[in-house]
Amino acid sequence: MDCINERNTDIGTFQPESDDAIIVCRCEEITKGEIRKAVHDGMRTLTEVRRYLRAGMGLCQGQTCAKLVKNIVAKELKISPAKLEPATSRAPMRPTEMKILANETLEGVPKNE
Amino acid sequence: MERVDLIIVGAGPSGLSAAIAAKEYGLRTVVFDENEKPGGQLFKQIHKFFGSKEHKAKIRGYKIGQELLKEAAELGVEVVLNSTVIGLYQDKEITVRIADEIRHYKGDTIIIATGASENMVMFDGWTLPGVIGAGAAQTMLNLHGILPGNRILMLGSGNVGLVVSYQLKQCGCDVVAVIDAAPKIGGYGVHASKIARTGIPFYLPYTIIKAEGTDHVTGVTIGKVDSTWNIVPGSEKHFDVDTICLAVGLSPMSQLLKMAGCTMEDTPKKGGQVPVINKYGETSVSGIFVCGDVSGIEEASSAMIEGKIAGIAAAYSLGYLSADVQCEETAKLENALSSLRQGMFAPGKRGTAIEFTEEGFPVSAHLLINGYLSEDEALCYPGVTKADGVHPMIECTQNIPCNPCQDACQNGCIKIGEKITSLPAVNGEQNCVGCGMCVAACPGQAIFLVNDDYEPGFASITIPYELLTLPQKGETGIGLGRHGEILCQAEVIEVRAAKVFDRTNLVTIKVPSQMSMKVRFYQKKEA
Amino acid sequence: MNRIKEHPILGEIKKGRLVTFHYNGQSMEGYEGEPIAVALKASGVLIHRYTKKLHKPRGIFCAIGRCTDCVMVVDGIPNVRTCVTPLKEGMVILTQYGVSAEPFEV
Repeated sequence: MDCINERNTDIGTFQPESDDAIIVCRCEEITKGEIRKAVHDGMRTLTEVRRYLRAGMGLCQGQTCAKLVKNIVAKELKISPAKLEPATSRAPMRPTEMKILANETLEGVPKNE
Repeated sequence: MERVDLIIVGAGPSGLSAAIAAKEYGLRTVVFDENEKPGGQLFKQIHKFFGSKEHKAKIRGYKIGQELLKEAAELGVEVVLNSTVIGLYQDKEITVRIADEIRHYKGDTIIIATGASENMVMFDGWTLPGVIGAGAAQTMLNLHGILPGNRILMLGSGNVGLVVSYQLKQCGCDVVAVIDAAPKIGGYGVHASKIARTGIPFYLPYTIIKAEGTDHVTGVTIGKVDSTWNIVPGSEKHFDVDTICLAVGLSPMSQLLKMAGCTMEDTPKKGGQVPVINKYGETSVSGIFVCGDVSGIEEASSAMIEGKIAGIAAAYSLGYLSADVQCEETAKLENALSSLRQGMFAPGKRGTAIEFTEEGFPVSAHLLINGYLSEDEALCYPGVTKADGVHPMIECTQNIPCNPCQDACQNGCIKIGEKITSLPAVNGEQNCVGCGMCVAACPGQAIFLVNDDYEPGFASITIPYELLTLPQKGETGIGLGRHGEILCQAEVIEVRAAKVFDRTNLVTIKVPSQMSMKVRFYQKKEA
Repeated sequence: MNRIKEHPILGEIKKGRLVTFHYNGQSMEGYEGEPIAVALKASGVLIHRYTKKLHKPRGIFCAIGRCTDCVMVVDGIPNVRTCVTPLKEGMVILTQYGVSAEPFEV
C-alpha cells in the first residue's frame, strides 16, 4: 500500500466465484474464497491476511503459497501485485524446533567429516 | 563468535563460482548450504548447455557441476552442508542451524546465492498426490533414479517444461502433452522440436481445468483459454495420466535480503522480489552482495559469471585487490555475461514479440505454437541447404547465443561468426565427411546429416538419439516426421556411440528419397 | 517397477546397500541413504499423509524439502520431510494424520 488512504478505497462487496473452494495455502488448508473474504473483512496487507487466516504460517512458512496469496489479494484490491508489500520476512527462515532455537552456540565453523 | 572474510549462502553454481573467485584472491570463505549435497540444481541438468566455449557450451550441466566442485575443493573452499541459514542481520551477522544447534557467524562480506523456488498454479485437484513440480521430476529422474510416474502431463512450455519433458521421455515415461496458457511456446524452439519429433503434442493456449482422482491423480481435463481467461466451451480434452508436472516459472528466494534491510524491488522481468544492486552485485547494505537466480531469474551459465563478479567485488571491498584489477577482471566477465544476454530470449526482450531474426528471416510462427517447423519453413533458413552427398542440415531458426556446431566441424562447413547469436549457415563449398561431430555437439539436437545420394531411391539421415533404448544396426523401424507423425519404414544402417559424442548417439537410417526433408526421428516397431 | 536401471545419460545411478525398513507395519526394502520418499515410491506408496482439517491425501510435491507435503511420522517423530531425509535400516515410517500417526476418528 502506498498510503493510508487506500485502506478506505471501496472495493465493492464480496462476490462468490466458481473457484472459491480451491485450496491456496496447502499447509493450513485455506481456500481462495477465504482469502478473498478476508480482504473484504478489512485485511488490506499481506501481513494482515497472514495473521488473520494463518495462510503462510504453516509448516512450509509460505514457500508454496506466498505468490498465490499475493496475486489473489491484489486482484481483490484491484491493484497490481507489485504494489503489495510482501509479508514480513523474519528469522527463522525455515521451520525450526524450539529445542534447537534454544541451543545456541558461538563456537567456530564445524569441519566436514 | 567466528568472524569470516566472506560468508556465502548457497553452494549452487553461482555461490561456488563466487567462492572460487574470492578464494583465488586469498579471502577466508565459508559457504553454507541447507542441502545434503552441493551444486544446487546443476546436477539435475543432464542436457548439454548452450553458449560458446567460454560458457562451457555442449558440456552437460552435471559435468560442469563436478568441475566446479573439484575446483572448489582444490582451492580449499570450506563448504558446510546440511546447514540452514535462518537469519541474516543488518550488521552482517548470520544465524545458521547445523545439526541440533544454532550458530552465529559474522562476515565482513556476505554473498547471498540462494537461488529460486518454483512458482505455483492452482487448479481443481492440484493438491492430489501425483501433482508435482517440474523440479521434482528432475530430482527423481536424475538424482534418485526413479520415475515420477508413467503417463505425465506437463504444464508450462518455458525451457524448464521443455527440458524436463525431454528428460522424462529419455527415461521411458509417456508425456501425453505439453500445455501452456500463453499463446506461444516460451522456451527455445529447438527444445520444443526435440520433443515434438517424439510425438509429444503441444496445446496452446490451454490450461488445466481439473486433476481427477480421489487418492491420487488418475486423469486430467484441459481446456482452451480465450483472451479473458475463460475456457472456450467444447474445447475440453481429457487424458489418462498418473502425474501432472508444473513448470510455471521461478521466483527468487530473496527473503534473507529483505530481512537484512536491503532495498528491494518487485520486477516481473526478474521473476519477483529482488534486491536493488549495482553492477558488481552489491545491495543497498554495504558488504552484502548477490549473484545467480536470487538476483533475477536467468540460467546457470549467467549465474556462474555473476558469482565470479560478486566474489571479486567482495575481495576488492576488503582490500584484497586493487581497483584497477577489479575493473579489468569485472569488465571481462561482463563481456561474457552480455554475450549470453543477446538474441531472441534475452532478458531485455522478455514479453516482446519478435517476428524476424537478426538476419531478416521470418521467425517461424508455426514453431512457436506447435513446437516444430513446417517443412516449407525449414527450407528458407541458412542451415538448410541442398548439396551432393552427405551434408549437415541445421534446423536452428532462432537467434540464441550458441556456437558449438561451428567449432565441431573440422572442415569449416558450418559458419556462425563473431556474433554467437547468428543462425548457423552451411557452407556448400566445403566437403562434409559425415563425421557427425556437429550432430553430437548441438545442444538443441537440431542438426541432421542428410545424403540424398545414398542409394537409388533412398536417402540416409543421421539423427541424434538420446532415448533409453538405442536402436540396433540392421533393425527396421519407423521414420517419424517433425511432429512425430508416422511417415515410412526406416532401416537402421549405422549406430555410432563414440565417447567423443558424450552420450549423444548417432543413428543413421535409410528412408525413401522423397522422405529426406521430412523424416527427423526414428521409432522402434512395436514388439 | 519404477526404478531406473540404466539412465541414458548418467548410466547407473549409485545407491547404498539394500536395507529393510517398516512402513505402516509392512516390511519393505530400500537403499540406505536415499530419501525415504524415493524408497516408498519404489514400492508404490503415493500417499504420505492426510491433512488435519479436511483429511485430504498428500504426497510428494516439490521433492526438495520446501513444500512439506511429504512429511510423515518417522521413528516416532512427526513432520519429517521424507524427500530429504535419508533412509536408515530399520526405520519405522507411519502415515501422518494431521500431526500424528493417530488415524482420524470416523
